[in-house]
Amino acid sequence: MSRLEALRIKLERVPVLTGRQAVVISLFSIAFSFIIFSIFLFIEGANPIDAYANIFSFAFDPSLGLRTTLHRSLFLLFNTLAFIVPYTARLWNVGMEGQFYLGTIGAFAVAYSFPDLHPAILISLMLASGALFGAGYGALAGYLRGKLNVNEVVGCLMLNNIAFWLVYLLTVGGPWAGIAESTSKPLPQPARAPVIWYTPFTSYLVIAIAIVLFFFLSKSVIGYKIRVLGNSPTAAKHIGISGSRMYILVMTIGGAIAGLSGYHMWAGDPAFYMIPRPEAYKAIGDLTYWGIILGLVCLLNPIAAIPTSIFIGSIIVGATVLVRRLRLPFGLDVLFLGIISITFAAFQFFYLYKIRRMR
Amino acid sequence: MQDQIMHGETILEVRGLTKIYPGGVVALDHVDLEFKAGEIHAILGENGAGKTTLMNILYGVLQPDEGEIYIRGKRVRFRSPLDAINLGIGMVHQQRRLVFAHTVLENIILGHPKAGRILDYKKIRRELEDLCRKYNFKIDLDARVWQLSAGEQQLVEIIRALYRGAKILILDEPTSVLTPIEAEAFLNALKSMSKEEIALVPFVTHKLPEVFAVSDRVTILRRGKVVKRIETKDATMTALAEYMVGREVLFTLTKPKVPLGEEILRVENLSALNDKGLPAIKNISFSIREGEILGIAGVSGNGQQELAEVLAGLRKAETGRIIFMGKDITNASVLERIRMGIGYIPSERLGVGVIGSFSLIENILMNLYYDKEFVNHGFINYKKVREYAEKIVSEFEVIAPSVNTKAAHLSGGNLQRLVLSRVIPRTSKLLIANLPTAGLDVAATESVRMRLLDCKKKGMGVLLISDDLDEVLQISDTIAPIYEGRFIKILPAEEAKKEVVGAMMTGAYSEGM
Repeated sequence: MSRLEALRIKLERVPVLTGRQAVVISLFSIAFSFIIFSIFLFIEGANPIDAYANIFSFAFDPSLGLRTTLHRSLFLLFNTLAFIVPYTARLWNVGMEGQFYLGTIGAFAVAYSFPDLHPAILISLMLASGALFGAGYGALAGYLRGKLNVNEVVGCLMLNNIAFWLVYLLTVGGPWAGIAESTSKPLPQPARAPVIWYTPFTSYLVIAIAIVLFFFLSKSVIGYKIRVLGNSPTAAKHIGISGSRMYILVMTIGGAIAGLSGYHMWAGDPAFYMIPRPEAYKAIGDLTYWGIILGLVCLLNPIAAIPTSIFIGSIIVGATVLVRRLRLPFGLDVLFLGIISITFAAFQFFYLYKIRRMR
Repeated sequence: MQDQIMHGETILEVRGLTKIYPGGVVALDHVDLEFKAGEIHAILGENGAGKTTLMNILYGVLQPDEGEIYIRGKRVRFRSPLDAINLGIGMVHQQRRLVFAHTVLENIILGHPKAGRILDYKKIRRELEDLCRKYNFKIDLDARVWQLSAGEQQLVEIIRALYRGAKILILDEPTSVLTPIEAEAFLNALKSMSKEEIALVPFVTHKLPEVFAVSDRVTILRRGKVVKRIETKDATMTALAEYMVGREVLFTLTKPKVPLGEEILRVENLSALNDKGLPAIKNISFSIREGEILGIAGVSGNGQQELAEVLAGLRKAETGRIIFMGKDITNASVLERIRMGIGYIPSERLGVGVIGSFSLIENILMNLYYDKEFVNHGFINYKKVREYAEKIVSEFEVIAPSVNTKAAHLSGGNLQRLVLSRVIPRTSKLLIANLPTAGLDVAATESVRMRLLDCKKKGMGVLLISDDLDEVLQISDTIAPIYEGRFIKILPAEEAKKEVVGAMMTGAYSEGM
């Protein structure tokens, strides 16, 4: 008979999650991932406290990692925002990678075509063109979903692959091929992003976009329509909100923001000023997927996405010291990021459920 | 293994079964039931009466919050359907759970523990043939399932359950997908089965007459409670229908005398399909005048939902016209209709009428966002919206700590008051109320009905869709019983006798009643 005893633990759905609960859960998930990674550090013979101190001191040292930390963090922010807008309508934009590549193409096409323009004009045109290319690419996935009901995840992933090879076609032996093997020509001098306090000006642009989006999503009529649609497509239909048009709109906005990150990435870091070799630009393209995790962890709040992006960016940059400075095995830094992302994702469970013990 | 079951022995008994869903909806409220071997014991109830919950608890899909289940006198707990199956409970679902490309025999042994890893087809076949002979089933074990009729497929499910040793069979709407001839054959099979020592428990909403014909005993559920236990020989069809749809009469509302004005809505020969693409409403025509409440009485699932959706602009009309204030709005969009003064109260509250993760303000905004008065340059004037929301929420007596409270925290009655407060003040001409009091307690029901009568007093037309016959009789001016997508008749409230309308909406009506 004991076999039929009911389980003692009961899951209960959390009806509404407050921002404060989300912050607490996120902090727990970070602490949890640090503990897990400590085990690996310990096995490798490193002192975890020492390792963590090294990671963050490197990431935020103005003479060492700070520039890269800020640059990469705000690149993540672009892509987090690009995820947040469509996901507010509950559309999974996993196409930031492709939109970023298209943004790259849009920006570089302008730079190579008009290398002698005044920097202010050239950079503005590059940004506009990058945003336009990204927006078009996002809109494509949005159209497929909104009008033809093609699942946006599948659509985005396929478009990502196409975009990767488009860049490849242009750079590796293509019209934009540089002198070095498999990279593009360098960006002309006036196209490079001016730096303001350790970081290219586009970093401030994306923070401004985050703030604008916050008000757009929470206060504007269109933002309201997007939120109604995201929370209940049926309710949206009942009050006359067109799903298909909104789906195209949110993907266009998301694509435009991801497209802007193309300029930010390559024109904002002196280590590049060009499109690097395929495996290198693919590695950066892979970073865009952090946008999904960060967007969800932030409960789609664009302002909360700012510190969260900087936190992950600092680990992306800082964890490299594990290999370079502490002489730990190669790949341990990537493992750390993997652990953080998977615990973040796993702790999403607590956004939805409470565990309660039965009497 | 198990000793022989005696005829009339209680196989399954439940005591005090209670299930409360998160959000406080009481689906089952201290239900006591007994099922005896050799009996067909039908459970009747409208949608939302708790039938599905009860079925799921008996089959181990859901756990009750309170109450006990006994099988042959021994207390049991089901963690999953597997526990229930192992203890002799079989279930025949409304949607067939069969592999269509496989043969009958293959379907029956699919997942059967006795089958083991290596199949002894000869032995299984012999056992199945014995089983069919015993119950007098006629079925070709080698036929592919897709070749069978719906009735035969249902039989396969039953044989599968019996072969697994089921002593009690739960049948979910057993005749709903069968043609009349199939249904008759199937019901005969049920009758002969019940002579053996098993209990049969059909759950029924629609097609009352058929099940009525074969059952020995009937229990009627309403709002999660057992309202009547009766032996079939003592019951009449109309009485059953009344128990099923009726409700304790509340203290009587006085229907205000309002002279009926101009015609607001005229519907001509309207037809529409349901989500499966089958005809849901068939050639319906009616009209509503200022100050008139037209009550559509019917058991849920007879086309009311589709009719409401077509009128609200959510579903396409296949044929016919909708004339509103003299204008053809058959193809007008939802928003155009809202702006013209048509309000729709959907039957589903949380998720459609109200968004749980939204505050009261944001919910009320659902009927303001398109209005220039509450919008500045594309941005919502939240100050104005808040003032409006606070006023309207107190006027409609929505009880909440503040207008910033998330709607998910509100109780059922409060939720509905919130829906009404969102829709009614923004509706000037025609209110479509779809099951507005379903699942509400007495007080909340009362307040909703008052609101509908208020609308009438203000000269609005109201289309009330309800499966509560008393409600329809109490507040409507005109009554249209609906059955299988058609209005049986449209009659003035004064001429509507309860028994007759009840018979009309359950398909038991014949001319001359």
